[in-house]
Amino acid sequence: MATVVTVTSGKGGVGKTTSSAAIAAGLAQAGHRTVVIDFDVGLRNLDLIMGVERRVVFDFVNVISGEASLNQALIQDKRIEQLSILAASQTKDKDALTEDGVGRVLDELAEMGFEYIVCDSPAGIEKGATMALHFADHAVIVTNPEVSSVRDSDRILGILQSKSKRAKEGGKVVEHLLVTRYDPDRVDQGEMLSTDDVCDILAVDLIGVIPESKAVLKASNTGVPVILDMQSDAGQAYGDAVARFLGEERPMRFVDLKKRGLLSRMFGGD
Amino acid sequence: MSEEQVPTPQIRANRYSLMTLEWPPGASKFDHWLSAQCEKAPALMAEINLVLKPPVGLPDVAIEQAVASIKAQGIGLIGLTGDPMYRAVATRLELQWVSAQNVTESNISAVAGPESTVPAQPTHAMVVEGPVRSGVQIYAKDRDLVVWGQVSAGAEIMADGHVHVYGRLLGRVAAGVSGATDRQIFCQQFEPTLVSIAGIYASSDQVPETLWSATVRVGLDASGQTLSYQTHE
Repeated sequence: MATVVTVTSGKGGVGKTTSSAAIAAGLAQAGHRTVVIDFDVGLRNLDLIMGVERRVVFDFVNVISGEASLNQALIQDKRIEQLSILAASQTKDKDALTEDGVGRVLDELAEMGFEYIVCDSPAGIEKGATMALHFADHAVIVTNPEVSSVRDSDRILGILQSKSKRAKEGGKVVEHLLVTRYDPDRVDQGEMLSTDDVCDILAVDLIGVIPESKAVLKASNTGVPVILDMQSDAGQAYGDAVARFLGEERPMRFVDLKKRGLLSRMFGGD
Repeated sequence: MSEEQVPTPQIRANRYSLMTLEWPPGASKFDHWLSAQCEKAPALMAEINLVLKPPVGLPDVAIEQAVASIKAQGIGLIGLTGDPMYRAVATRLELQWVSAQNVTESNISAVAGPESTVPAQPTHAMVVEGPVRSGVQIYAKDRDLVVWGQVSAGAEIMADGHVHVYGRLLGRVAAGVSGATDRQIFCQQFEPTLVSIAGIYASSDQVPETLWSATVRVGLDASGQTLSYQTHE
């Protein structure tokens, strides 16, 4: 049985695609056969973040409409053997996603032996997002430590527990909270919500805190999932999050204010 | 229950938004206030339907004048309410008399079929597992509502009966939605966006600061016009 992990947030620009890429890469690195699907039909980005944009021939919508087989559309990652990517269509819109079609593709992926199917949800609560949520077994809620992002995540959690397939069948989607773009400095100055505040409002278990990091932008622009940059704080934080997802216990890192030395304070270095 | 196959007209207990225009004792300058109000919010005043509640002991002439000025402003006036002594005035002015007592309940039992004259079974409370998320609306019709867990900001919980929240209340909450003024709200951690009982409401900035985050019980005071709060240590 494949596990469907939907990465979602409600709000845009909080780091869903970066997180989807990192989580999928992390699961694959841990030895699990994983596929990551871009549900953002019309505004595809995942292929860029994964560095496979030049290899996309067929996409998710082609598979749903029967114009291509899954084998033709799946792109095998060149760095991690266990990882595959299914890109979104840039020319179609989200109406191309039908419940039957998406369900069929997910079933087929499970039959092919994938253990984890990571769904990169688009922003908003419209078709693409609800479709990505519908089949979720697990949901990773990506939230920035600011009030509007937290409010939107709350809304998405409500939809998840009322409209998803699992919820309709009387079950519950397993929720995980991932706080991204966290800056302990600004939390300390009272400009940003703390992880405690966010957890308090959302009442969901925290799976990881990703610090605000230059490594994320660099990773996006070079098409390498940030989790593969183990030198970076963000890469390590995603590594921790994936380990926690797989049941390992790890202490939270990068949430406390760094003690800055006199020199770094005087010269403003990091 | 009825065996009939042919559909028959039915009397249903629907809710319509109806405002009461309260005219407190001793208040003068009714016309002046009314025209100022219409200038301030012309669209609102053109939309709403009103029931006028004059203070006790007002001469009939004053009521007639007030009704005339309301009509002159083009506001939809449905009827009069308040002290039963105005019932005659309402009839004379061809207005409806809206009983101040629990309107829905008394009317329904009067018009319902013979089966319904048996007093309704007390229904059990609706129990909801929290957190109630932003964007979710819950309405416990004709009964109490119990929420086990948090009610998030942007969520709305309503009941015709009492509302109990065993957790943090951040959203909107309303008890006595159909107008029962003896309904209450009980809450473990009280931080609501809006709180309302029988249509009397307060937004979060009107809630006394000392009660914020406390365990609070909200009801209406004896006048049935003001929210009263009670906290326990």
